[in-house]
Amino acid sequence: MSARWLTGKVAAAILTLVFVVIFNFFLFRVMGDPTTQLARLPQSTPDEIEKLKADYGLDKPLLGQFADNVGDTVRGDLGISQKSRQPVVDEILDALPWTLLLVGTGTLIATLLGSWMGVIAATRRGQKTDDAMLGFSMFTYASPEYWIGIILILVFAVWIPILPSGLQVTPGVEFSSWLAEAADVAEHLILPATAMTLMLLGQYFLIMRSSMVDVLTEDFITVKRATGQRWDRVVRKHAVPNALLPLVTLSAIQFGAVVGGAITIETIFSWPGLGELTFQAINDKDFPVLQGTFLIFSFGVILANLLADILYFYLDPRVQTK
Amino acid sequence: MIKWKSLGTLAGLVLAALALMFGTTSMAQAADEGGGDDILKIGWAQDPQTLNPFVGLDEEDFTIWAINWDLLVNFDPVDLSPSPGIAESWEVSDDKKTITFKLPEGHKWSDGEPVTSEDVKWTLENLATEGELFTSYTNNVTSIETPDPQTVVIKTKKPDARIIGGLLIYILPEHIWGKVPKDELTTTYQPSLPLVGTGPFIVTEFDRGRIIEMDRNPEFAGDKPKLDQIQFIKYGNQDAVERALQLGEIDVDPEVSAATFDNLADKPDIGVVKSPSPSFTELAFNVCPESECPDAEFNPAIQDKAVRQAIAYSVDREKINEIANRGTSFVANGLLPSYYQDFYQEPEQTYPFDPEKANQILDDAGYTREGDGIRSKDGDELSFNLYVRSESPSNIQAAKLVAEMAREVGIEFKVEVVSVDKLTELTIRQENGKPAPAFDSFIWGWGGDAYDPSFLLSLMTTGEIGGSSDAFYSNPEYDKLFEEQAGSFDTEERKDTIRQMIDLLQEDVPYLVLSEDPNLQAYRTDRLGEVDVACPEGDGDLFCEQAGYEPLLSLTTTGGSDGSSDDDGGGGSGVLIAIIAVVVIAGVAFLVIRSRRRGGEALEEDEPAEGEEPMEEPEEPEEPAEDEK
Amino acid sequence: MRESGALKLLTDTWRGRFGVAVILVAVFVSIFGTLIAPYEPEASSLDVLQPPSLDHWLGTTESGADVFSQLLVGTRVSVLVGFAAAIISAVLGSMVGIASGYFGGWTDRILDALENWFLVIPTLPLMIVLARLLDPSLIVLIAVIGFTSWAGTGRIVRAQVLTLRERSFVERARALGAGDGYIIRTHILPNTLPLIFASTVLIIAVAILSEAALAFLGLGDPTRISWGTMLQNAFDSGAPSAGAWWYVIPPGLCITLLVLAVSLLGFLYEEYINPRLRRES
Repeated sequence: MSARWLTGKVAAAILTLVFVVIFNFFLFRVMGDPTTQLARLPQSTPDEIEKLKADYGLDKPLLGQFADNVGDTVRGDLGISQKSRQPVVDEILDALPWTLLLVGTGTLIATLLGSWMGVIAATRRGQKTDDAMLGFSMFTYASPEYWIGIILILVFAVWIPILPSGLQVTPGVEFSSWLAEAADVAEHLILPATAMTLMLLGQYFLIMRSSMVDVLTEDFITVKRATGQRWDRVVRKHAVPNALLPLVTLSAIQFGAVVGGAITIETIFSWPGLGELTFQAINDKDFPVLQGTFLIFSFGVILANLLADILYFYLDPRVQTK
Repeated sequence: MIKWKSLGTLAGLVLAALALMFGTTSMAQAADEGGGDDILKIGWAQDPQTLNPFVGLDEEDFTIWAINWDLLVNFDPVDLSPSPGIAESWEVSDDKKTITFKLPEGHKWSDGEPVTSEDVKWTLENLATEGELFTSYTNNVTSIETPDPQTVVIKTKKPDARIIGGLLIYILPEHIWGKVPKDELTTTYQPSLPLVGTGPFIVTEFDRGRIIEMDRNPEFAGDKPKLDQIQFIKYGNQDAVERALQLGEIDVDPEVSAATFDNLADKPDIGVVKSPSPSFTELAFNVCPESECPDAEFNPAIQDKAVRQAIAYSVDREKINEIANRGTSFVANGLLPSYYQDFYQEPEQTYPFDPEKANQILDDAGYTREGDGIRSKDGDELSFNLYVRSESPSNIQAAKLVAEMAREVGIEFKVEVVSVDKLTELTIRQENGKPAPAFDSFIWGWGGDAYDPSFLLSLMTTGEIGGSSDAFYSNPEYDKLFEEQAGSFDTEERKDTIRQMIDLLQEDVPYLVLSEDPNLQAYRTDRLGEVDVACPEGDGDLFCEQAGYEPLLSLTTTGGSDGSSDDDGGGGSGVLIAIIAVVVIAGVAFLVIRSRRRGGEALEEDEPAEGEEPMEEPEEPEEPAEDEK
Repeated sequence: MRESGALKLLTDTWRGRFGVAVILVAVFVSIFGTLIAPYEPEASSLDVLQPPSLDHWLGTTESGADVFSQLLVGTRVSVLVGFAAAIISAVLGSMVGIASGYFGGWTDRILDALENWFLVIPTLPLMIVLARLLDPSLIVLIAVIGFTSWAGTGRIVRAQVLTLRERSFVERARALGAGDGYIIRTHILPNTLPLIFASTVLIIAVAILSEAALAFLGLGDPTRISWGTMLQNAFDSGAPSAGAWWYVIPPGLCITLLVLAVSLLGFLYEEYINPRLRRES
């Protein structure tokens, strides 16, 4: 039963991914005219365009191109960047760790902080703390993350210049040890990760708060309370674990937003991850790269959803017994 | 199930790790300063995508190539005239169709191999035919001979002055590039590092999208440069570059935006340089004759010379420069920028701002004002579309100003902001195999070569219709003069021919060149020593960008003050971390003590410091963990 | 109580009052902004990046234009894109949702797969890809945002239609020989409208943020000022490094306030149609 459920989920995820590949191909081939995209020089001669077409396999019929495309994608060949003439895969692999670091740090802090704030707010519903946290979360939830990032830059890099606001590491420095380098990266991570955290915080807080509110009104909590257990102990031992569940699902749903945030936040902080790569590809009209990052973003989100489903399955007793 | 306790422990670990890291940051920087290397740091928004000149297309690529390699004939840093490069001397035959170049003895590539005539031959035969950006330079070359390793003989169909003053092809080492299959050269080939060259610095590290390091070339033939290394650091956007310059993270910002140029100039420890460049912004008109473009689409009135002259008089170029370019540009007079010192002369007709005159020309030509103030003749209304690229805010502004000014004399321009692709499409449109441009006018720009003006002048030749020409101007007299100047090795004679060409253009106005666009650079005055702008001398830029490298030989970074600016940053954040750590520890201690004292009621108290100070966030979750005990 | 509930929620809670006030101001400004603006929004001057003064209440831009005037005029794009894209998304979402829930079978399976797909795919990258392939304009922006954000509505509508389909009044109508079109029009649609409306309100917020993000990334309509293009121009021209807070903060704050107002009203409306939620806050 459980194995069948799992197979179903994995199959669905793979199917979604296949759709992405198909969609990706036809979108770029059918909607955009690849020849004008390829000719980066305004005055490319017909010969040059023919040559480019041959280079990129565009002289074959559409279905043949599609078969090539799928085969290449499966083999991990995402084509060649029009701008750098290097394999798109290499560019993506180069950028991926930095995105994971930024997104991971931001998500981790936002989850911890958001759920902690949610617990505090839920246990003091209607009080000043609750109102303040609610207001703050609603504000960060409604504001564009790159705007928050620019304000962080204004405050911490222009007015009080104490934190680096560009790149991932001090450029051109030979570090005495990996620890020193890690420290330097950590310092560069502070502002972008803060922007990422503030972007996600509101959602986590709101979900945790409402989930806690639900749990706190449930009978078993009232019973525990009536037996004379300390209130903060009841909250920690019984309410919080139960309220954490919706957060798992949220993490997955949020991943789509995280990806969007990564694009803008990495752009303003010159953080050399996938988002910045995407931004450069937008400016350069580097369609193979744009295609590649879209694929990898989709892949990440699909994978995150699948993991969340599985995690939810193991965590929630109710799902299991169904 | 997740427990608060483990979360707390995790947070504690993160905190400890962070503290350790920040503690060591200043040490790392201290160690870094100890080396005493003289490193010049240049920050830019975009970096080269490739070091392979067969495929590179971007300006940034040229910046690196021009330092790493020499041309057969370099540009003199004083006035950009021809000066020894790979060749130390050259001789032009009497019929001006054979040029013999002599290479110096003992000149070596950075890997120790000798520089020979074979390198020159290979490069001119391959890079000049396959490299996308280098193809037009050798159109007239019929043969390249190498009688001995120190001699190159180039023969041309007709005299071509560009073979000496404008052969913008970087000479590559044949013993490396010659071994690479051609289809690889023109696609994915990346040269191995260090990038063997003859320039003062050679690329030793190329981390695309991050950094390029160029170290001193041990075999460099000229004076030993004072700098040990040059770093080009990519920031992805201009704002980050300018922040880095203000923070002292970089020494030079080679592409300052016009909007912040004055602002940067006012900052302490920052100097700015404004140097002329061979590029300009023009208002182009569709003057394509019926014979060349039978299917062109335009308002025929734009082909009336009187109308174009009136437009020229009605446009206040000074004002456009002041507003659209923040006063950073130079007002242009004619097609050739004054940057071309050897060939530039102010034309007789410069079209000073004179709306009266414009009105009079239009009156004389029979265009009368209608009810709406727009002039027309025989039903042809003086109403034109004016295309402008959405990428360029300054061009958009210039277009709006042009429209505003022309309106005063009864000419209407409808400004249409379009993507660069759309504008390209309109200009290179073809019908039945013939050009069929579909516009009345547009605003765009061109950049010329460093010394030789032939490229910019060629834009108005009939031969370039269907090629680079985007005004589709055709005038046999101009074409004849163009050939004449291109084949002239006598600078004075050539200058006179060019004057006649420019006069023709000023009369016919296919382009109204609005401004000469400068290079704007900024640098740290507390870091750079021996700043000596060149190319041309006294008026050029910090490192002869894309035209050579001479200033880089004498430039120094004042080693001592290097550390101090870094230290400020490190110390500052160290202090900040300390403050925050103290605040957090005090806050945690306070909460712990209080919750112990008040027991279960602690949770009812009012808010703790929350969310305001982002730096605190990682530490916050510790609170409940402490509470647990 | 139920009848006056909606209005009461709007006027009696600070959230309702705030939301209504902000939206009224935004709609007013988006209509009359060009008339109120003290300056021609794109008129450049020599006063470049000047801090706020009596002449320029919110200072000037990198081209010497008035920030306050741009802010007023820029409201129109945000409001227009927000509402228009949300309407497209509502129409698409309810059509797909109703078709899939009402007809069931293969229609349902295919449409549901499509919906799932759009739910999973990260929207901003998808919008970027679409907007980059097409030449950016207001219409393109609206279409792209509307086209990529309908799946949530579709999902909610489908679930509602699935339960409605089994309800007795629908079965009775069918037994009486009513056609599908008639049933959908008279029974299904009226009973799903509140849900469609609720999710559409929230999509307005998403659409406003999406327009701003696309414009910030350089994919906005180049011929129009919007809050997003203002942020883009500010960033591109180095306003942050020049410390020009008056150019950076107002557009973002306007986006935030409008999104906040729309979201608050959306939440309030959800509480209204689903009173179980109300006790939570």
